Amino acid sequence: MKKILLSFLMVIPVWGFSQSFQVNLQGQKQTAMGGAGTGVAMDEASVFFNPGAVSFLKQNGVQGGVNGIMLKTAFSQTGSNLTEHNQNKLPTPFAAYAVFGSPENRLRFGIGVYTPFGGAMHWDPNWTGKYAVTSLDLQAIYIQPTLSLKISDNIGIGGGLVYSLGKVDLQRAIPITLNNGESSTAQLKGTSKDFGWNAGIYVKTLSGISIGLTHRSKVNATVKDGDANFNIPDALRSTFPTKFNATLPLPATSTLGFGFYPSEKTTIALDINWVQWHVYKDLSFDYDNNARIPDTHSPRNYKDAATFRLGIENKANSFLALRAGIGYALTPVNDGYVTPEVPDANRLLLSAGIGLKPSERFGVDFSFLYENVLARSGTNIETGLSGTFKTVAYIPGVALSYKF
Amino acid sequence: MKSQYFYKSVLALAILGLASCKPSAESVNTVVPNKGNADFSRYIAVGNSLTSGYADGGLYLDGQKNSFPLMIAEQMKTVGGGSFSTAFFQDSQSDGSGYKYIAGFNADGTPKIADQNTHTAVRGQVTIPGFGNVTLFTKYTGDLNNYGVPGIKLAHITYAPYGNLNGFYERLLPGNAGTNNTKYLDFVTAKPFTFFSMWLGNNDILGYATGGGVGDVPTPKGDFAALYNLAVSTLKKGGTGGAGAKGVVATIPDVTATAYFRTVTLASILATVHASSGGAAVENIYIQPASGPARPATAADLFILPLGSAGLIGKADPKGPYGLSPYNPIENKYVLDKDEVAIVNDYVASYNATIRSVAAANDLAIMDANAMLKEYGSGKVVNGAVVSGAYITGNLFSLDGVHLTPMGYAITANGFINAINAKYGSSIPIVDVTKYRGVKFP
Repeated sequence: MKKILLSFLMVIPVWGFSQSFQVNLQGQKQTAMGGAGTGVAMDEASVFFNPGAVSFLKQNGVQGGVNGIMLKTAFSQTGSNLTEHNQNKLPTPFAAYAVFGSPENRLRFGIGVYTPFGGAMHWDPNWTGKYAVTSLDLQAIYIQPTLSLKISDNIGIGGGLVYSLGKVDLQRAIPITLNNGESSTAQLKGTSKDFGWNAGIYVKTLSGISIGLTHRSKVNATVKDGDANFNIPDALRSTFPTKFNATLPLPATSTLGFGFYPSEKTTIALDINWVQWHVYKDLSFDYDNNARIPDTHSPRNYKDAATFRLGIENKANSFLALRAGIGYALTPVNDGYVTPEVPDANRLLLSAGIGLKPSERFGVDFSFLYENVLARSGTNIETGLSGTFKTVAYIPGVALSYKF
Repeated sequence: MKSQYFYKSVLALAILGLASCKPSAESVNTVVPNKGNADFSRYIAVGNSLTSGYADGGLYLDGQKNSFPLMIAEQMKTVGGGSFSTAFFQDSQSDGSGYKYIAGFNADGTPKIADQNTHTAVRGQVTIPGFGNVTLFTKYTGDLNNYGVPGIKLAHITYAPYGNLNGFYERLLPGNAGTNNTKYLDFVTAKPFTFFSMWLGNNDILGYATGGGVGDVPTPKGDFAALYNLAVSTLKKGGTGGAGAKGVVATIPDVTATAYFRTVTLASILATVHASSGGAAVENIYIQPASGPARPATAADLFILPLGSAGLIGKADPKGPYGLSPYNPIENKYVLDKDEVAIVNDYVASYNATIRSVAAANDLAIMDANAMLKEYGSGKVVNGAVVSGAYITGNLFSLDGVHLTPMGYAITANGFINAINAKYGSSIPIVDVTKYRGVKFP
């Protein structure tokens, strides 16, 4: 069992989307239910969804899951009859959790390793928007040890320290022509290590409805001395930087969730996320050599945005659970700020999944999430790139769990 | 086994997802190609060096392949346009007339410009009595849609012997050097066509300006108007055997706004002098204007690009160092003084007024190249690429400072396409400017 879980942890390149570059694939049961799970004590993934609910889990357990994201984006420049597509990649974000401690005790322990932010967008190196971006690989893995305390039979609180490991690799073309007639290129690559936290409260009301309220803090992913690799004419090499510093704010997220239990076999979960995207004001790169190119400050000016998630689970029998969900995510990106690395717009989420329990302890959960990002037209105020983006995503996933 | 059934279903779903369903072209495309009320089945391009694809101080194969008429013709193919022939130099003679490239940079950052002429198409030289030497190029025979002839003025289009005076035109004509008597206007209208672009008139003022007001004279305004009317009325007939044609004409860019006149400036000359030994105290640069005595230059006087590499400024002389003494001023041929600038501006304004009124009277589309060059020359971000009139780094002007880079020609092509679409209700798709290069760096 441990080996299987470890093998999931090894699947390192980890990327995806749900709202801009936020990823919401932190548990297969919850993903199959539209991504809702803050107001219910569903499983070990509560370490992420609501640390306050961890102390209400009936069993200890360990689980590991992975998703494959098939992201299909199309772009057409204003005035052109051509359609350009992003390249096929299969980012595989994972999430793994374990919950320990006696279920009879008030204090429980948990640990989670998950990927709340990331992106993998690759365009043809010679596409229309190449001077804006040709590829972005972005990933933040959060490692979160967690304590959860049941302060009464109806109220649990919990919190965890987040250690964030970030990686970024941004590539674009530069409008300086090499001797072979091709464009110069730049690659900015770096890693970050930062801290944050996650806390939540879980309440079982007398009416039978459960309520969760959580907050995951902002993390400033800070890249220091990242590598700035420029493929430029030799005559200009000494005037270009080799290192850069940058900070990407990973926004705080507050969530209010509800759990409804119309029957013993049926759970309905409703979540409202509020993501404080306003912290993403610009994407700035501070270079170590400004002889030819100045430090860049690309405006992003994101706004706070909400996501609404509704999911239902029906335990058909002791072997099989059926799940479905729907969600709607409002975009944090204002008109004029849509960029090809994150061509964001309001999006509709539809999900379904099944859970299988071949034995009392062992479980397998499958999910399938379909995201339909609405078509969005506009002109970026920084690059002047004008056109229409349309994205759909198909995201299957699987998780294995073991109760002990 | 029940579970097997589920595994298979999920696997099937996953495969379905992998294979599916990129967003459709209809979900993002805004343009459905449509010819509107024009007929693009045979398009011809009438014009000078800018039409031919001239760049980097020469006409060569790579420049020809990046001419704006060829780009337009490619896009017209989506709306019923036919094949489009250019008088390409052969691959073995791809240097054409020869052209300039950057061999390296000097310590002060200025470029070392060198000549590329190992595989030219030069076939000889002929002396035309009363005119002088004309360089001849390998003849082109075959279909022709791009009639761009480097150097041609509007004033030349009805001049029968012109084929003997311009090697680029001679190369397109069947007769041998010295024996030609085909007027350019007759040549371009010898076959039927349905659509034309005409961008003529630039050279009627360019020679005067680039020569610092020395040598060439501007075409008289009245002659320009008469010839422009003649050219348009002739082209509208659609050529011999044609049934009429629609078309687009373009205004003349303000040549004093090109990199040719904006790279070597009073400030840049003074900065170089101040940095030289013993030059720190120099306050004035002296020029010889067209009329009157030598005087200190002002920011309103423009210097031509070749002065920068001529190596003359400060050169010792018994009359005083070159350009630094009123007794040894910068020669008139290197300077377009402020009075000459005013003359150039006056002619360009008059020519453009003619072009606009003739286009309007004949119901033709008009591409305002003058406005376009001002817009991009002053700096504009195009799909993330900064384009400006800056020499070498601006991506707009080629190494000669007057003609455009492939990227500049792509921007020009889109200017024409937008003008055509606006006039004729057509939807010719635009060119992807980012696919075209700027000046090559070593």
